[in-house]
Amino acid sequence: MNNKTYKKPSQFRAFLSLAWYAFLAQTRNPASFAFGFIFPVVFISIFGIISGTTPKLIVGIATNSPSSEVIRVVQKQTASFITLDHEDEITLENKLRQGKIDGILQVTKGQGRGEHINLLTSTANPQNASELTSIMGNIVDKENLTLSGITTPPITLQERQLAGRQSRYIDFALPGQIGFSLLSTALFGTVFGFIFLKKAYVLKRMFATPTRALTILLSQGASRLIISLLQTFLILIIGVVVFKFYLPHGFMTFLQLCVLSIIGLIAFLGFGYFFAGIANDENSAGPLINLVTLPQFLLSGTFFPTSSLPGWVQPIANNLPLSYFNMAVRKITTEQGSFHETFPYLIGLLIWGFVMYILAAKTFKWE
Amino acid sequence: MSKNAKTSNSNAIIEVKNLIKKFGDFTAVNDISFMVQTGEIFGILGPNGAGKTTTLEIMETLQKQTSGEVFIDGINTLEHPWDVKRRIGVQLQSTSFYPELTLVELLQMFAAMYDIKVNPMEMLKRVQLEDKAKSYAKQLSGGQRQRFSIASTLINNPKVIFLDEPTTGLDPQARINLWEMIRDIKKSGTTLVLTTHYMDEAEILCDRLAIMDSGKIVKIGTPRKMIDDLIKTGFKREEKPKPATLEDVFLHLTGKQLREP
Repeated sequence: MNNKTYKKPSQFRAFLSLAWYAFLAQTRNPASFAFGFIFPVVFISIFGIISGTTPKLIVGIATNSPSSEVIRVVQKQTASFITLDHEDEITLENKLRQGKIDGILQVTKGQGRGEHINLLTSTANPQNASELTSIMGNIVDKENLTLSGITTPPITLQERQLAGRQSRYIDFALPGQIGFSLLSTALFGTVFGFIFLKKAYVLKRMFATPTRALTILLSQGASRLIISLLQTFLILIIGVVVFKFYLPHGFMTFLQLCVLSIIGLIAFLGFGYFFAGIANDENSAGPLINLVTLPQFLLSGTFFPTSSLPGWVQPIANNLPLSYFNMAVRKITTEQGSFHETFPYLIGLLIWGFVMYILAAKTFKWE
Repeated sequence: MSKNAKTSNSNAIIEVKNLIKKFGDFTAVNDISFMVQTGEIFGILGPNGAGKTTTLEIMETLQKQTSGEVFIDGINTLEHPWDVKRRIGVQLQSTSFYPELTLVELLQMFAAMYDIKVNPMEMLKRVQLEDKAKSYAKQLSGGQRQRFSIASTLINNPKVIFLDEPTTGLDPQARINLWEMIRDIKKSGTTLVLTTHYMDEAEILCDRLAIMDSGKIVKIGTPRKMIDDLIKTGFKREEKPKPATLEDVFLHLTGKQLREP
């Protein structure tokens, strides 16, 4: 009896099975399903809707304003203005101070066809104020030329646009959204997943079988990889089909994005394993994960470009793992670069991952 | 093969020698030795914190002892834990399954972890759960969960199965049902080691018992012998036991059949 030799159990079969069932269990968990699939869709839809509208300047004209040639021109330019002329002066001024409107046009009739335009702006929104001032300046200049009978002015300005892709917010935001999802899955998913497995003795029960600890650990990562690839598919499909997200080389770019997502997730999983190893309950894990993810969401060009950050923050911001991922994705989408141009970022990403895997291996606690 | 070298007693499937387990300054298991014979139901009794679970987990290769040796089927658990794991089945005190997987899926998953093929329906039938095959683990009642847990320990056709407080929290009907299941497993030739807080359970179910207190084994033997030894010292119950217990009343009124949704 004792000399009966047992077949050495295949760790690979255990790995595949554990990865598949861990994935299946996650898709059936309402919380992880919402985090994994519904949130990205909501985010991407919001970004898509934002980027479809160009902001218009809101100009108030008091109800008792006299008829004016300039105001007629302003009212015709509905592409850049929304005009309000059904409110009294005091209401309009209050709105201007609160930043609800961008300017007020006050007209005083002069002699003959002459008129004096008073443009009121506020410091509430300086950017819109200066835009409005420049547009009004143009309109008044043009009107003056017409009234003076000058048809061929001595100085002319001709504008010529080079053909370029119109950069919309969705083109910026979608790559960031892929990174955001990957980092969330790698961290929140892995850490909370492991805490549950520890607490419910699922891991302990598995340790009583001939499956090795490393196999169990890797299978958990693999299940997140399936989830992340599905997230990337979902974000890209909605982005491309609904919001016309631009893939420079079509399907090739799509495949490259999948490869980037795999590399990104593997690197981010280093963080996931590290925190999964040191955290034993949800209460301590939540703040720890936020400490790592929140600054990255803000500093890594997820929602707005890192170039808008102050100079001293940029060296930090540009070297965060999520920044590397976002830069790599934008390199092959918005910047239309080729895949090998992403290598420097991928190396940065993998160095981060490597460091975290080492830390995780040194600190991992199973119970 | 040295790892299969037989220990002194040829009928013992488990041999524990001078086992000590310390957690820092605290000695959870303090130099215990005992043997479990092939095919018996061996119970470990003791108050909370006596070291029952620690002893069990060392035998299960889930913890490493500070010193001493454990042989399962002649194999040293420290030297060849993977060979031991293949020969044992383990039921833990708490729920230990993915709540969102069905029973069939969980059995398939465990089969893959042992790299063997199983017929999940047959296994479920053995623990009267075939009609719950498609249910998620989280939908099971306490008794059903314990039965499923036992089914999962049988996947690899183990020589020994360890049950840590298998009937804690179950109603009397589910408890009786589980006892029958445990006896069935014994009949098939498997050795069982279990811990319990219930003396009636130990008396009815176990062939032999070890009573632990503060990390030591204070008495070991058959339940009958232990009771006789106590009576010999002149011990008497203050009140003569009645021919029936409250449990008999309860079961007489509510019946022995399982109550399950």
